[in-house]
Amino acid sequence: MAELEYIEGYPAYMHELLQRVHASREKRKTYVPEAMSMEEQQKVLKLHPDYAPGGKRNISVGPNKGDVAPEPVADLLEAYPLVGSEEIDISSADFDVDIMVIGGGLAGTAAAIWANIQGVPADRILLVNKLRHGDANSIMAEGGTQAADREIDSLDRHYLDSMGGGHFTNKPDVLRGLVEDAPFVMHWLHELGAMIDKNEDGTFVEKWGGGTSVRRLHSCKDYTGLEEFRVIRDEFRSRKIGCIEHYPAIELLTDGEGTVTGAVLYNLETGEYKIVQAKATILATGGFGRLHIRGFPTTNHYGATADGLVLAYRAGAKLRDTDTVQYHPTGAAYPIQIVGYLLTEKLRSSGAQPVNVDGDSFVFPLEPRDVEASAIIRECYVRDKGIETPTGLRGVWLDTPMIEVKNGEGYIKKAFPGMDRMFSRYDIDMTNNPVLVFPTLHYQNGGVETDPQGRTTLDGLWVAGEVSGGVHGKNRLMGNSTLDTMVYGRRSGMSAAEYVKGGAEQGKLTLEHQTSYVKMLKEADVPPERRSPILLPEYRGKEALARMIDVF
Amino acid sequence: MASSEESATKKLDLQKVMDRIAEASKQVVSGVEAGTVENWVTIYIMGRAYQVPADLTILTAMEYAGYKFVRGVGCRQGFCGACATLYRKEGEYKLQAGMACQTRVEDGMYLVQIPFTPAEKPSYDIAELDYDVNTLFEYYPELARCVSCNTCTKACPQDLEVMDYVQAGIKGDFGDLAEESFDCIQCGLCAIRCPSEIVQYNVAQLGRRLYGRYDSPEPEHLTNRLEEIDEGKFEQALDEITSLGREELEKMYAEREREQE
Amino acid sequence: MKVPYYPGCTLKTKAANFETSALAVAERLGIELVELPRWNCCGTVYSLADDDLIHHVAAVRNLIRVQEMNAQGLVDDEYRLVTLCSMCFNTLKQANVRMSENPEDLEKINDLMYLEDDYEGRVEVKHLLELVDELGFDKVEEQVKNPLEGLRIAPYYGCMLLRPTEVGIDDPEDPQIQTRMLEALGAEKIENPYRKVCCGSYQTVQDKKVVSNLAYDILTHARNAGADAISLSCPLCAFNLDSRQREIKEDHPSFREIPVFYFTQLMAMAFGLSEDYCGFDLNYIDPEPLLSAKGIIGGSNGE
Ligand SMILES: Cc1cc2nc3c(=O)[nH]c(=O)nc-3n(C[C@H](O)[C@H](O)[C@H](O)COP(=O)(O)OP(=O)(O)OC[C@H]3O[C@@H](n4cnc5c(N)ncnc54)[C@H](O)[C@@H]3O)c2cc1C
Ligand code: FES
Repeated sequence: MAELEYIEGYPAYMHELLQRVHASREKRKTYVPEAMSMEEQQKVLKLHPDYAPGGKRNISVGPNKGDVAPEPVADLLEAYPLVGSEEIDISSADFDVDIMVIGGGLAGTAAAIWANIQGVPADRILLVNKLRHGDANSIMAEGGTQAADREIDSLDRHYLDSMGGGHFTNKPDVLRGLVEDAPFVMHWLHELGAMIDKNEDGTFVEKWGGGTSVRRLHSCKDYTGLEEFRVIRDEFRSRKIGCIEHYPAIELLTDGEGTVTGAVLYNLETGEYKIVQAKATILATGGFGRLHIRGFPTTNHYGATADGLVLAYRAGAKLRDTDTVQYHPTGAAYPIQIVGYLLTEKLRSSGAQPVNVDGDSFVFPLEPRDVEASAIIRECYVRDKGIETPTGLRGVWLDTPMIEVKNGEGYIKKAFPGMDRMFSRYDIDMTNNPVLVFPTLHYQNGGVETDPQGRTTLDGLWVAGEVSGGVHGKNRLMGNSTLDTMVYGRRSGMSAAEYVKGGAEQGKLTLEHQTSYVKMLKEADVPPERRSPILLPEYRGKEALARMIDVF
Repeated sequence: MASSEESATKKLDLQKVMDRIAEASKQVVSGVEAGTVENWVTIYIMGRAYQVPADLTILTAMEYAGYKFVRGVGCRQGFCGACATLYRKEGEYKLQAGMACQTRVEDGMYLVQIPFTPAEKPSYDIAELDYDVNTLFEYYPELARCVSCNTCTKACPQDLEVMDYVQAGIKGDFGDLAEESFDCIQCGLCAIRCPSEIVQYNVAQLGRRLYGRYDSPEPEHLTNRLEEIDEGKFEQALDEITSLGREELEKMYAEREREQE
Repeated sequence: MKVPYYPGCTLKTKAANFETSALAVAERLGIELVELPRWNCCGTVYSLADDDLIHHVAAVRNLIRVQEMNAQGLVDDEYRLVTLCSMCFNTLKQANVRMSENPEDLEKINDLMYLEDDYEGRVEVKHLLELVDELGFDKVEEQVKNPLEGLRIAPYYGCMLLRPTEVGIDDPEDPQIQTRMLEALGAEKIENPYRKVCCGSYQTVQDKKVVSNLAYDILTHARNAGADAISLSCPLCAFNLDSRQREIKEDHPSFREIPVFYFTQLMAMAFGLSEDYCGFDLNYIDPEPLLSAKGIIGGSNGE
């Protein structure tokens, strides 16, 4: 790569191209392409990484044998455990609790708090974290949280929007729980002191989200997840609930008859294992963006590696909707340091338009996510109207300056401080110049099947949040996921607490469920070196890796 | 779609498009390969020199050098505060701070991560607290020790005016405290550097929660909605809609009205 | 006249009544006190340790803000910085004196604060009493609509307005500035030697007794000299002389409580301003019975 000349953060040739965006802005002020008909949508969706051929296969073992899943997910499900009963001693527990929560994002943290509110003592609950408490997808949510709390809105309307967004595959009773509890979640957040954006008159600021028929999205500037999570974590800490960090769960323990009774934890720093016994286990490990499905960059945090799916599945829980993956239409495509990072949908609901290399807008900015993403891929790879970056990535412009045209000067700094800060670190001023975008791997739509209390098909095991499947069907709407974490974190926490208070006994600790699973793996000819969960993705330099030796 | 384009999509090998996208993203998803790099810089990770590609962040450069992070990284995008890093550049006296995931490497950077900050976080029940400056002093009496040296502000990787928000707290100006500290990712660098041993980010957390809860009441439209739900206003509609088959739902969905902008 | 104004932390909380009354009376005198847009705690106590330069950073940073106000056009070539609290006054002014006398110290401090503009040394720290004095007490008299006739007030200075002499606003042995103010307001002044005695200051945190004993002496001397009330200009003195009467009463059940005013509260009364500006609810000893008895409130003069 020869030294490039940079202007306002862009290589000179890109800077020249973006002048066309400035030139067409006046025209685009009044002209926006219409939303696509169902038919048009079906056509363009062929280009969606989730619908394009390849990249998936049938799962060959376990309760969902025969179902379709992305290759990297199928690989992890069809993999041997990290440890077996020969290698570790599970006869006595290092931690003895009533409720263990695995994964401290919004879902897990809310679950622990509500189990405590419901009467389980703080020292009888243990929250287990792979990284720090809060190093999670939750803290990164930018855009907002849905709740039908305006007069013109209704719970059934929220339901219908979500069903349509999910292509009518959502599990009805679970989706109902989501929309029914949503206003309460906003109330809870307000009581805890979350700074939810308000208008001068004291009402909540509510924005459009892709696929919603009314403005229903509540936010905290563009740090919605950060604010929601900080407040909830502060509440969690005030309650002095048990919490350990850098200790991922690597396997569930069962009584050998289908009831989950605890877990094996692994100290990431020392390599030592610990055994937890718990009467109830709530799995809230989040999603799988770091599997880089189809080779896409991701918006997800470092630890989003599908551990929860693996653990639950191996213990015998049923999954659902494993075949779909959500790509966010607008990830950053330039500069290289931030490729894949999320540029929230709220930018588009505030007026930013996708624009091609000619300066034309080519798609209604608020199509459902899969449609919007496919249209951008079409623009770049079928119509050849994308912009290529110096590293060979393609993208289209997102005309962020239009936001200030529509909402007044200074709006971006006020409403999107996080994003503005991120670009300014690379000398790009998003108030004056557009930014480059391309779809990015964003969300695990399906997961461990649950009922409206967060219960799985296994006794003693609940799930909440992104690891669960059903509530969003095959496609989640923006703002329904942070909502999901708090609704089902709370419901599973309360349900598990009732279970414990109802006199549930601690079952014995075994790894017997592994035996039949390993047998299936062998029958399916799974290569013995394939093991899961993977816990963390691999980004070390190839040269360094090639020269590593194990001494200790 | 124009018809020529339509046939183009049909003929197009969709799998190949996906492969092209994957190829273009390789550097981002599976680490950089030396062969593709032209510009290099030297950084010093805890004192030891490494040659790394100039385009990387501190985080990805350390990974390139062979570090597998099990601490000191979380979101990788500037939200979680796990990757706090201090550095000095060769020949400069200034000690600078940045998030490893958000800061580009520069030649001659000497760096160390501070992945943990020991800090007290008192327990409180926000519902029981007075919305009053005394509450801040009750839980964080060391606030009064601020000498306004501004070291915290210098250390803030989010470029927040940390000292100003601490001072706003001392004055009991909750609005300023909350707004000025809002973008805080609680990385802990301010607290590590503070000569008065204040834990700024925890103070701000309490201040924001007080402000969020007490500055203005819960919106009426939300309170009303909660009452309506209690009264069962939506029960029937939900019973109906949850029992509909796919076709009926599709029809309803297609016909639903959008709120006027 | 627009003058930069430094409130200090306590005036935003416990002594909010000092500020509301001061802003109101200043306005009557044609002085617009413009609050520094950004300010920090003054540092609270002027540090006496020689090599403790860091403690003066707080004060000097506030002085820099006065330069900024001028640069931003918020005030017009006005480098006087007005304070109400005697403690802030003393801390800011002593730091200012030190900076002007020790260019080396100033350089070090400027260097440390590299995110700010350099302090150029042009600011003059003034107490509101001084500013009014410069304006002339006849101007005060002109504003009086409701003279404080029959109210016998003992002015109290404490230390911070008078010592050390380089920063004091009056003769440390025989201060008169409050007396002139009280005369202008139509009150009866009660002189007594205890007006210069320390109130015990921050000892109040460590050892209430030390302070309540001192306060007992100060207050009983004023009372014996015939005073109905005290006038002062410092929230900490106010706390020690006013709120500590609770402890005095415990030790000396026969002690007769005595109201303590900020001088600006008295000005507001005399100017006939609404009682809202006085915020008597923040006074520990309720002054209203006294004021009613003397016919100062409850009449028809209030706005
Ligand atoms: C950039 C971004 C923006 C988003 N914006 C929005 C938005 O605007 N609105 C919205 O509704 N949704 C949004 N989402 C989605 C939403 O934030 C997440 O889906 C949701 O917060 C997931 O919460 P969770 O608690 O289920 O999982 P997470 O928050 O991911 O938490 C899971 C936790 O479990 C831990 N964990 C994983 N494996 C293990 C293990 N083996 N042992 C122990 N712990 C483990 C992880 O480290 C993590 O801390 C966004 C997501 C991203 C990534
Ligand atoms: S890894 Fe989260 S802020 Fe850097």
